[in-house]
Amino acid sequence: MDFNIDNLWVLEIAGVEIWITRTIVNTWIIMLLLSALAIFVRIKLKSFKEIPKGFQNAVEAVVETFDNFVKNSGGEKLMPLGKWFFTVFVFIFSSSISGVFGLRPPTADWATTFALAFATFILIHSMGVKYRKTEYLKGFFEPHPIFFPLNFIGELATPISLSFRLFGNVLAGLILMTLYYSLVPLVLQLGIPAVLHGYFDLLMGAIQTYIFGVLSIMFIRGAAE
Amino acid sequence: MNFEIALLSALVPEGRVFGLDLQTLISIGIMLFNVLVLSAVLGFILYEPVKEFMAKRSDRISGQLDDAREKMAEAESLKAEYEKRLAEIDVERIKILESARKTASERSRNIVDEARHEAATIRRHTQEGVIAERERLKEETRLYIIELSSLMAGKFVEHSIDAETQDRLFDETMAQLEEARWLS
Repeated sequence: MDFNIDNLWVLEIAGVEIWITRTIVNTWIIMLLLSALAIFVRIKLKSFKEIPKGFQNAVEAVVETFDNFVKNSGGEKLMPLGKWFFTVFVFIFSSSISGVFGLRPPTADWATTFALAFATFILIHSMGVKYRKTEYLKGFFEPHPIFFPLNFIGELATPISLSFRLFGNVLAGLILMTLYYSLVPLVLQLGIPAVLHGYFDLLMGAIQTYIFGVLSIMFIRGAAE
Repeated sequence: MNFEIALLSALVPEGRVFGLDLQTLISIGIMLFNVLVLSAVLGFILYEPVKEFMAKRSDRISGQLDDAREKMAEAESLKAEYEKRLAEIDVERIKILESARKTASERSRNIVDEARHEAATIRRHTQEGVIAERERLKEETRLYIIELSSLMAGKFVEHSIDAETQDRLFDETMAQLEEARWLS
């Protein structure tokens, strides 16, 4: 067992080689499972009652908690982005817990975390321009136009730091778990890894999901206000 | 441009942990596309419909609360109106009772006055009757006394005085009687 991102297939499209990595395949698996869950909820929604119970209660609690979280952290302006943040939270957390089921977490690949951080980067600037227009763009030239390169690099640092924080944490957990499985005898691979998975995949996964989500919301809110 | 897609299974390179090259850029693009697709699926199939369901329910409950509040206000207004009416009825009742009491009081006073008047009339009539009776008895007594006196005087005169004296006395007596009558 190693912690490399294996390449499963290589496609050639219009003369360009495209590596289909384990990350991409695992992402598709997670996407399929989440889509199936979404379709199941959508079907069950038809039979949702006025007073929620059981499964309905859980679904409503998740959506409501998340909605309130976006409203409180991002304000009313970011409410239309609720479903994007919801996806980011669900995807990062699902990726983290996929390690429990033997999948290599897609977030242990910098391409995944940078893709998410890049989306945040696009949202930061599009929201800034949308709500503050020229005042936002003027911010790049303050306190003096000579500072533009520094401000620009500072902005570029946001997605890089966001992506490396998540990537580093998840990869560290994955490396430790791989080392554990590789180094300890078989008898110690029963039971104990559950605790380690609980810590690295569930707890750290939840914490890193929260940090990534909150930071993204804060950056976007900072640009929009 | 040739858009041929080929699976190059023989050329699968070694795995790696991190890299900064074209393949990483392509992976970033694929992952971004994946997350956008997932966002569309989760957003439109799960998040938005559940939110919409909850918003509709919230609106419905809010509407019901508003309706209940309106009905409550209506009931309060009706209650106030009925209480006002009851108060008015109470005032009216008191007025009617007061009027009835006044009428009864006047009537009883009239009855008492009438009774008093009647009693006074009866008393006056009785007193008048008594006076008349007394006068009548007095007259009868006087006549009886006169008759008796005359009779006694006649008897006495018959035995003691002559005719001349008798006539003189008779005249004197008659004169006195006449005088007494006039005086009385």
